[in-house]
Amino acid sequence: MNSILPWIILLTPLSSAVVITLFTLRWKTVSSLISVAAVLVSFVCSCLIFTQSNIAAAEFIWIDVAGALKVPVGFTLDQLSKTMLLVVTGVGATIHIYSLGYMRDDDGKSRYFAALSLFMFAMLGIVLANNFVMLFIFWELVGFTSYVLIGHWFYRDAPADAANKAFITTRIGDFGFMIGILMVWMATGSVVFSEIAPRMPGLAGHSTFLTLAALLVFCGAVGKSAQFPLHVWLPDAMEGPTPVSALIHAATMVAAGVYMLVRVAFVIQASQTALLVVAWIGTITAVMAGLIATQQNDIKRILAYSTLSQLGYMIMAVGLASNNAAMFHLFTHAFFKALLFLGAGSIIVMLHHEQDIWKMGGLFRKLPVTFVTFGIGALALMGCPPFSGFFSKDAILALAYERNMPIFIVGLFTAFLTAFYVVRLLVIVFFGETRSAAARESKESPLVMTGPLIVLAIVAAVGGFGFFARNFLALPTEKEPAYIVSVLAFAAVIMGAGLAIAIYRNRTGEPIDVELLRHKFYFDEFYAWLINWTQELLARISAFFDRWIIDTGAVDGSSRGTWGAGALLRLIQVGNLQAYVFLFGLGVVAVIYIAVFR
Amino acid sequence: MVLFVIFCPIVAAILIMAGAPARKTALAASGLAFAAALFLFGSFGKNQHDFQHVTSFIISPEWHLSFTTGIDGLSLVMVLLATTVTLAAVWFTGTIEKYENAFYACLLFISGGAIGAFASIDLFFLYAFHELALIPTFLLIGIWGSGNRVAAAWKITIYLAIGSFILLLGLILLYQSFPASARSFDIRALKAAANLGQITSDAQSHVYLLLLIGFGILISLFPFHTWAPEAYASAPAPAAMLHAGVIKKFGLYGLLRLAIPLLPDGARHWADLLVVLLLGNIIYVGLVTIAQKRLDWTLGYSSVMHMGYIFLGIASATILSTTGAVVLMFGHGLSIALLFALAGELRKRTGTLAFDELGGLAKLMPFAGLAFGFGTFAAIGLPGLANFAGEIMIFFGAFKNGWEISRFHIFQIATVLALWGVVISTVYMLRAYRKVFTGAPNERWKEIADLRFGLRLPVTLLVGALLCCGFFPQSLVRIVTPTFSSYLTAERQVTGMEPGSQNSSSTQRAYNIQKVAVR
Amino acid sequence: MITLADYLIVSGILFAIGFAGVMLRRNVIIILMSLELMLNAANLSLVAFSRFRVGPTGLPDYNAQVFVFFIITVAAAEVAVGLAILVALYRARQTTDVNDISSLKF
Repeated sequence: MNSILPWIILLTPLSSAVVITLFTLRWKTVSSLISVAAVLVSFVCSCLIFTQSNIAAAEFIWIDVAGALKVPVGFTLDQLSKTMLLVVTGVGATIHIYSLGYMRDDDGKSRYFAALSLFMFAMLGIVLANNFVMLFIFWELVGFTSYVLIGHWFYRDAPADAANKAFITTRIGDFGFMIGILMVWMATGSVVFSEIAPRMPGLAGHSTFLTLAALLVFCGAVGKSAQFPLHVWLPDAMEGPTPVSALIHAATMVAAGVYMLVRVAFVIQASQTALLVVAWIGTITAVMAGLIATQQNDIKRILAYSTLSQLGYMIMAVGLASNNAAMFHLFTHAFFKALLFLGAGSIIVMLHHEQDIWKMGGLFRKLPVTFVTFGIGALALMGCPPFSGFFSKDAILALAYERNMPIFIVGLFTAFLTAFYVVRLLVIVFFGETRSAAARESKESPLVMTGPLIVLAIVAAVGGFGFFARNFLALPTEKEPAYIVSVLAFAAVIMGAGLAIAIYRNRTGEPIDVELLRHKFYFDEFYAWLINWTQELLARISAFFDRWIIDTGAVDGSSRGTWGAGALLRLIQVGNLQAYVFLFGLGVVAVIYIAVFR
Repeated sequence: MVLFVIFCPIVAAILIMAGAPARKTALAASGLAFAAALFLFGSFGKNQHDFQHVTSFIISPEWHLSFTTGIDGLSLVMVLLATTVTLAAVWFTGTIEKYENAFYACLLFISGGAIGAFASIDLFFLYAFHELALIPTFLLIGIWGSGNRVAAAWKITIYLAIGSFILLLGLILLYQSFPASARSFDIRALKAAANLGQITSDAQSHVYLLLLIGFGILISLFPFHTWAPEAYASAPAPAAMLHAGVIKKFGLYGLLRLAIPLLPDGARHWADLLVVLLLGNIIYVGLVTIAQKRLDWTLGYSSVMHMGYIFLGIASATILSTTGAVVLMFGHGLSIALLFALAGELRKRTGTLAFDELGGLAKLMPFAGLAFGFGTFAAIGLPGLANFAGEIMIFFGAFKNGWEISRFHIFQIATVLALWGVVISTVYMLRAYRKVFTGAPNERWKEIADLRFGLRLPVTLLVGALLCCGFFPQSLVRIVTPTFSSYLTAERQVTGMEPGSQNSSSTQRAYNIQKVAVR
Repeated sequence: MITLADYLIVSGILFAIGFAGVMLRRNVIIILMSLELMLNAANLSLVAFSRFRVGPTGLPDYNAQVFVFFIITVAAAEVAVGLAILVALYRARQTTDVNDISSLKF
């Protein structure tokens, strides 16, 4: 029975974006309300869909070339997508409401909400897609809206550059993704997931092909979820408004990579080599980001690197062939990371756009609600029981313990690091003396901003409970983690927290200075050098070749050659009649010779 | 009706030369032509292979020469493109200081020539109408251009004339390669004769090479592309819109209309060469574009680069990739017209298009910034705009050629490189957008004016068309596919090639004219 | 006996003298006379061929002699026109030296 609800969910945000762009750009409040209304409609419909089982929706044929390629716009409505819909629309709705407060005085408010609505449309498209091409289409659209939103304050250099960097880096990932899609299509003859999955076992035996295809499809996730080595765009993306960082670069878009891998697990899990590569890339990202985060001083950057680290955990789980653990962590992370970012936004706005943690301090008195909610989010992020993060992170660590001991050790170390930098953040920002005038004069944020914080905090706090997760979120969780893993993880958390408190209590400046970490392992510098010596050099050589060798050499050369030949031939025109007669005579002799003797 | 669309611009041009009010007549004529093209689109019968709305005037029975016009799916899409870009180009013309009538007349002659070429079913008039567009281009660039305009005008005209000459040789040879009884200038008759295998394989190879080079020069195929950037940089914006958007597509149309259906063996023979050349277009010219420091040169080189994708679609010669090629032609024509129009407006206001001297203009000209953003993202293949739909069909169709699960052959490698070209185009277009529109505004342009309301309408027209075909590409695919399914399914026995041999052994590469079941 | 070859040699020598005159003499009138000499050399060889090539009926082939009449006529006409041009040229340039008439030099 075909329901119209999925179409409503998908198209309402799109209509909101169109209406705002065409009609209400001038009336900022109206635009913001339209956008919020649209996302709430989608949320309500998602709740309705969640309660129904066996739901289907009509397809719309986007391209059909005489059967050679058929791309429908259709929906996958299984447990995974229904739950993801709830998460995306739920977190999206809270962030839309939060934005009403955060962006209240911004000039480009209408533009912002139009882009936000367009993002919701694209993200919901990814969640609902039932075939590779539709997934790719919305994948690119999500990247586009991310570009628009990161570059919201495009008249400044830093956001404009960050937006370019984000789009180009994810495009590189999409390059690999597309090749992977093409390979899978050629081998199985279809792009629709439900048609590909049963045909995959038929390809067993072509292991190189399967590994290559799986790794290329994974490339897309490397780009979108900012895994090593395409992670460099995510910290720069913090140039965008904080709600954008919360929604796109913490909760949803970056999680799209993980979601995609789970959705097409039948491709990824067809090759053991690919799974191993995936797991290690996730692990490397997690530990690398964790190390960098310990040395950052901008509150949003710390949270950005922590996002990278947690995404690494999710990818690690995918590589260890457990989609459930990955999705569980994705859901809990969506809530507590959004919470942390919104809390950070609340602090930033109340301190007049101050982002340096060393200029904060003592805020637990000034912004109490923010402090409590942020604290809950921080504890969940660290993996402290009984908050949700503990259950999801433990599930992943337990998997690693069972299946790949080196990864488990690195993962445990990363948990230690996580606790360290999170508590460092808490101590420096909220405790101690207030270190600047802005901090001294700050006060709590308005309700429109603290409301969403409270809602998210509740979910972050209780969302992890086994029965709660099983019944409400309807997620099958892993079997109870092995006892020793929980103990080790908790020990890591305590050690990290203790160390951080010991080092950073009552400090006014950063005591540790590890240059390698502060400069983010010099990745940006290395990539700039690499691009300069490959792409830019090739570009300059090609431009030179084109301008001087092909154009001036060949084309102008042939024209000048023609001119030169003409100048040479001109010399025959001596103007002397008798010379012409002589040549005429020579010509006659030649003709007679050729005619008679050849 | 088709004759009306062809002659509306031409008659209007003659009237303008005779003294009619230039801008009003031109707008009226292009508007009427656009409306007529939309009417044709609406009334087009689907799932028909043959030409529709055919009118014919016999000129020479013994040579089978007649003035025949008509449209099928392929021509209809091109005519629609031509009329849309003409309307936008005429609308975008600002005030012309000298010889205003001549300017509009030249624009309309180019337009009429393009539409006539697309709608001709007769070989002779196909060529003749295209030649009609050559001299007005020379005049437009030479008289009303900017920068190094005279040299650019001479270069483009002589270069394209050489290309037309080679093309003429190829067409004459094509005519001659049929046995005397089957010779005709009517394309339908030629196709019927070719279907019966009346051109020998050798002849096909020779003629195809000539046609490829002849058309290739017109399309700026690497290495015959160096006329394009300087010409487009020096041309006035409407001329650049028409040339890059429409006239360039004539060559591609010719390949699709003549070279592939009539000379399949030749196409197969030269497919490897074409793949190498088109990769030159995509990768090499893409790299050259990255190194450019002016907006007009960037756009000129980028138009050369995107021809590579359409060539990939043509070289693959499967129904999927050729349909994609047509959709991309349509999308690219619209997007490059939009970009050149806005660049022209910028040049009018600032006098320069160098990246160093511009900056942050989106804050000062928000509508222009938004419109240029649409053009940029269309050019780099963002889904939701027409270019992506074309590109994706091309990639899927090209990747399929000669597929083997154990290794990549030339078409797969070409597709991978073409996809990298998408990354390259992202780099340079976003860099251009960043240097010109975003970032801190340059102090010099504080007082710059945004597009006035009159000019926002053609921009909306172009963007709307791009979005329409981006969201609903099936509307184009539906009318284009029947054209190709007719000759891409014809049974053609060629030496060493079994019909339906797709999964051939690794020693035999099958760039097949795709055998697809007709529905 | 005087054979065909003798006549042809004479004709050839005449032609060569005429050609040398055209190439080497400066005065335009002498050039015209040398041209006439070349034409008459051709006439001589035509008549010689006609006289010595006897057809199967025993009669010489008169086609060549008819051709000679044509050449004489054409030569006469050409001389008339040539001299008229010469007079006009002298009036324009005041010289009949062919080396002075080189306006078409590059």
